[in-house]
Amino acid sequence: MATQTATKPESNQTVEKKVQRLRELYAAGPEAGKTALENLIRDLKSAAEHEPASRMSSAGRIGSSQGTVSELLVIAPFAPGGAERLRALLELRNGDFSDTDKVGTVHDMRFVFLDNDTKLLFATAYDGAWDPYIDDFATKIPNEMDTFFTTFEGWPGIRSPEVKDWIVKHQIPAIGWYVAHPDLTVRDIRRLKRIGKAVDEFLDKING
Amino acid sequence: MNLGTERGAVVEPNLKAEVPVVEASDVQAIVLRPRPKPYRGEYVILRIQDAAQGREMLRRLLPHVAPADEWWVATLPGWLGIAFTFEGLKALGVPQASLDSFPIEFREGMAARAEILHDWGANAPEHWEHPFGTPDIHVALAIYAKNEQDLQRVLELARRAHAELPQISVVYRMQFGELPEGRNPFGFKDGLHNPHVEGSGPAGPGSEASIKAGEFILGYPDENGETAQAPVPRELRHNGTFVAYRKFHMDVAAFRRYLRAQASSPEEEELIAAKMVGRWRSGAPLVLAPDRDEPKLGTDPIRNDAFSYADDMKGLKCPFSAHIRRVNPRDALKDEVVAVNLHHFLRRGTNYGPPLPEGVLEDDGAERGGVFLLIGAHLKRQFEFIQSQWVTDGNFISHGTEQDPLIGNNDGDGDFTIPQRPVRRRLHGLPRFVTVRGGAYCFIPGLRALRWLAALGSSSA
Repeated sequence: MATQTATKPESNQTVEKKVQRLRELYAAGPEAGKTALENLIRDLKSAAEHEPASRMSSAGRIGSSQGTVSELLVIAPFAPGGAERLRALLELRNGDFSDTDKVGTVHDMRFVFLDNDTKLLFATAYDGAWDPYIDDFATKIPNEMDTFFTTFEGWPGIRSPEVKDWIVKHQIPAIGWYVAHPDLTVRDIRRLKRIGKAVDEFLDKING
Repeated sequence: MNLGTERGAVVEPNLKAEVPVVEASDVQAIVLRPRPKPYRGEYVILRIQDAAQGREMLRRLLPHVAPADEWWVATLPGWLGIAFTFEGLKALGVPQASLDSFPIEFREGMAARAEILHDWGANAPEHWEHPFGTPDIHVALAIYAKNEQDLQRVLELARRAHAELPQISVVYRMQFGELPEGRNPFGFKDGLHNPHVEGSGPAGPGSEASIKAGEFILGYPDENGETAQAPVPRELRHNGTFVAYRKFHMDVAAFRRYLRAQASSPEEEELIAAKMVGRWRSGAPLVLAPDRDEPKLGTDPIRNDAFSYADDMKGLKCPFSAHIRRVNPRDALKDEVVAVNLHHFLRRGTNYGPPLPEGVLEDDGAERGGVFLLIGAHLKRQFEFIQSQWVTDGNFISHGTEQDPLIGNNDGDGDFTIPQRPVRRRLHGLPRFVTVRGGAYCFIPGLRALRWLAALGSSSA
């Protein structure tokens, strides 16, 4: 009890300070933003009593995670001809990434061409940490990795000992990030889908 | 420029023809050879406060360090292995450039890797026995003998090695020895499987498929086709390797109580215990003996390790989450994006403490458990990977956060899933049966490298 009363006002104070600073910053911005902020603060205050399911933490060497889900975003220049190659590859795939399914830990991947096809933004959400699995990727799916990422200027190759340092060097960690289910991995979701389907079949049979 | 093709050419495996022969006379016995059976032994940890005295001690010890090619000579009273932490190499005066070339996990040490290893709660380094987790651990000696008398003879050699060297101090000693019938404190036959190191001599019983020598000894191609170029210089690296030393307390009474609470008969207790381990107490693997123990199979060193999971891909015989299926998945993960051969270690286990008498369900307060030497050339993708991904997580087998039922870091809230028909069974409330008492990362140099270390400073002095 004593410890609770000792720590709580302090954290409230910190929050108050942050709110104060936010108000000052928004006061210098557009009027609509300022009004919206006041309304939002009012709504958030009533919800602030609940501890969220997870908070952002570090995903190993770099990057952020929410629960078991981590984010990775890399922006780097295309290699000469890299944009053309990647565009052709993605056109052929036409949204088919079923080979990525077998990795079992990738929630999504996004390829965005920037600045007149001179740079590539690659963003993904995945489970756990990528670092322990790089050697496995190099052994089991080197072609899948290298057809994508050799389009990056300077990509050392998935089997290179330098590949981890290359990724870290070009990675830009997210400052803010929302994950609907920070406690569910891709494998968890697959399992829950299987269970849900089985339960539905069971209920249908009971009714039938 | 076509990096893809270039890299592709580099990685083409062309090592099929020649299998490099491991120079066993230069590799320490502890790396390649199983301990004697029965065994008595002691781990001794030393601290070096003066580099010259440290090297003098090393010079005296050198003639007694057992090489892997003649450890079994019957006239030897026992054998001695020697390993160094990063702090220990520093204390011996290893040049900075060489120190800097060691992998990061070794330089940081096991305690600093606690987050990665999921060593939290009661397993956290702040709860470890002194001097584990401190910079006072420099040199670790592992001494094995067949009996007490021989052990004392080797210990005497070790004592003489630092006699009249006041800057060398013994900071830790622990004795170990075999329990009746070669069982571990939980009552299971132990030391049953180890990968076979290619080129190190004929595979003994209890070995599995050959794994490239470079996975376990620096200086040979590994499963990636690469030969380690660090640490430098080659004189220090060649025929050396790394070891993760882990001391575990085993709460045998808690294990028995848990089985009792989950089962309605002694037979069911044994079945649940076997499901947790993946083997019956005799050593008979569940895959080959799914319904009841087969002691003959357990004691047959050829048959008790000759199995795969190919016929048990639903885990109905051996659960996905069973201890031996986690730490050594064999072919169980062959459809996954994980290269199992990158995640092996050589496991040298020893037991300490008295057995808890049969049938006792209350803890007697005695310290008992095991010390494991988990040996490999790549601590990060071997010991650290297995500990963080396979032992203390369940996602790789689609089991959420379920941990190893036996050695996981559970805290009274663990689950254990047993696949069965028509519906799986799940046990809840698993306590921590095994608690980490301490650990360290050490480098195990080859014999010539030990001489190189002992000679440091002699030319520049």
